[in-house]
Formats: sequence, C-alpha cells, structure tokens
Amino acid sequence: MELRVIFDNKHKAFWNMALDESLLMHLKDIGPTLRLYGWNPAAISIGYFQSLEEEVNVEKAREKGVDLVRRITGGGAVYHKWELTYSIVLPPPKGKILDSYKLIEKGLIESFKILGIEAKYSGINDIEVQGKKISGNAQTRKYGGLLQHGTILMDVDVEEMFSLLKVPNEKLKDKMIKSVKERVTSLSSLGIDVDFQELQNIVAEGFKKALGARLYEEELSGEIIKKAKELEVNKYATREWLYRR
Amino acid sequence: MQRESGYTEGRADFKAGKLIRIRAKFKDDKIEEIRITGDFYIYPEDTIEFVEEKLKGARIEDVEKIINEILKDTEYIGIDAKSLSMAVREAWMNRN
Repeated sequence: MELRVIFDNKHKAFWNMALDESLLMHLKDIGPTLRLYGWNPAAISIGYFQSLEEEVNVEKAREKGVDLVRRITGGGAVYHKWELTYSIVLPPPKGKILDSYKLIEKGLIESFKILGIEAKYSGINDIEVQGKKISGNAQTRKYGGLLQHGTILMDVDVEEMFSLLKVPNEKLKDKMIKSVKERVTSLSSLGIDVDFQELQNIVAEGFKKALGARLYEEELSGEIIKKAKELEVNKYATREWLYRR
Repeated sequence: MQRESGYTEGRADFKAGKLIRIRAKFKDDKIEEIRITGDFYIYPEDTIEFVEEKLKGARIEDVEKIINEILKDTEYIGIDAKSLSMAVREAWMNRN
C-alpha cells in the first residue's frame, strides 16, 4: 500500500477537524493518507453524540483560551494539549467496523515498540501501557471512506483537564481525579523523552510497519485546502454544530 | 425543556461501558421529547437521531421493541439496545 504522510504542525481546533474531514471527502483523489498533527492553542474536542454544555465548563475554557470543537466521530471529551494526534483516511476494509479499529491501532502499537514500550489493545478503541491508557481512538465511515483519528499522550495533567471538564458528580471530583491518574499514563510518565517532530517520524514508521506501506510525502492540493477552509467556517466554527446536541 | 402542566420530565445518566444520557419529556405514558447524548459510538451515526425521532410519541411500554428493531443492524461500543432501553426507562422512572 502507498501511504501519503502529512507531517503537519499544531493548529487551531476548527482547522484540525475541518482538514480531517476534507481528507476523508477527497480519499478517492488522494489515496490512503496519514496526517500527524497537534493543537495550538490547547483544545477540547467532544464526541459527536455529546452535549457541549453537559461535558465542558465552557466559561472556564473560554477564559483560558482553550478551543472547543465537536468531532464527527463518537466517543468522549478529549483535552488536547501535550499530545500527538494522528488521523488516517483509508478505503474501508471488508468486515466489521469494530474489527478495523485494531488494524489501524496496530500502527500505534508498532510506534510504541520503536520507543521501547510494550503497548496493548484495551477494549476496542484504547491502547494501554502497563495497564494504563495512553491512547484513545475514534472512527467514522462517510463519503465512501474510513476516517480514524486518535491521540498519543506525551504528557498529562489530570487536574488541569478536570478544571475544564464537567464531572457527573462534583462531590466525587477528587476521587475521580485520583482514579483517572491511576488509569492514564503518558510518554513523559514512562520516562520517554521525545519531541513532537521525533514522535511524528516514529509514528509514521509505526504505521509503515503495521500496514506494510510505502510512505511518501506530497503537498495537498488547493482543492483539499479550500474544502477544509469551507468546513472550518461553515461547519466547525458554527454554534449550530458546536451545540448540535 | 420548560415544565408545562400535564407534562413530566425525566433524566438518566446510565453507565453502560460508556455513558448514555437521556433527557426526556413525557405526556402521560408517552414520550413527548427525547434527547440521547453520551460518549458511546454507533454505526451508522444517524441511528441515534432516528431512534429519537421514532421514540417521539411512543408509549413507554413500546420503547424496547422500537429500539431493538432500529439497532439490530448497527455496530456499537458502549451502548446497545438493552442499555439504551434501560436508560430511557430510567428517565421515565425518574420523572418529576
């Protein structure tokens, strides 16, 4: 398989989600594509089925300059700050949707292996190291293609994360923070010192191995960027989309 | 949702691997309005909107049957017909 790789920078949340969707829309023109990117400013993305107001302390997030965006993929609210995010668009493989998660997550398992870490699948859409979550993944099928995106935690600050997210029971917040601290890890917590660009290269290599792919880089066409800009303004940045549920 | 006479409101935060949140308004034993949110995954995604649409006006005793029928050909994580039906029923039990 030929896999186009985009070593992207850190971007605003609306743009990140808009470009992922535009890549999915143009899968037939661009072929299988892996994009490796980050978030600047920090952002919270919520799952397609979530309600922003139920999940996020919107006022606090605005005050801290944290971007807020709704994804087209399901799953939970994610605080994107110290992480590398990947997105991949592929023609959907035959078989069950849930089975294809692992096919793609293998790219991450291989990446962790390069870093000297033994990572395992946890459930369908998480990856764990030493029993703690280090990566979450979410997939959708649209426009005849498959989009999966997910994160690799480079560092984590659970207190900061919970200062922005709402918890079902305020009284149990401290307990919840403690429990999440016990269940989540990051490269930094594992003593791995790697910078964003190095990690991009490692993850590209991990996907290359997992998918048996030949990697190549090619600039994105104006059409893809134009569509992404359109989605950024007319979809992701709108109140209608953000407060959809 | 504003409370009006003759209507009741019910909520449920139902943990089923993932969280399923129900916000509903009832008139007698019928669902008047319903919103399903949460951190689950379901394919195709518009299944949830379809369920909301089909539950509007449905009697609470028919919820399970309707949900079973709609979810039978879907794939999901952290939600299924049984847990979604239970979540709706819990919202009904919790109505004011």
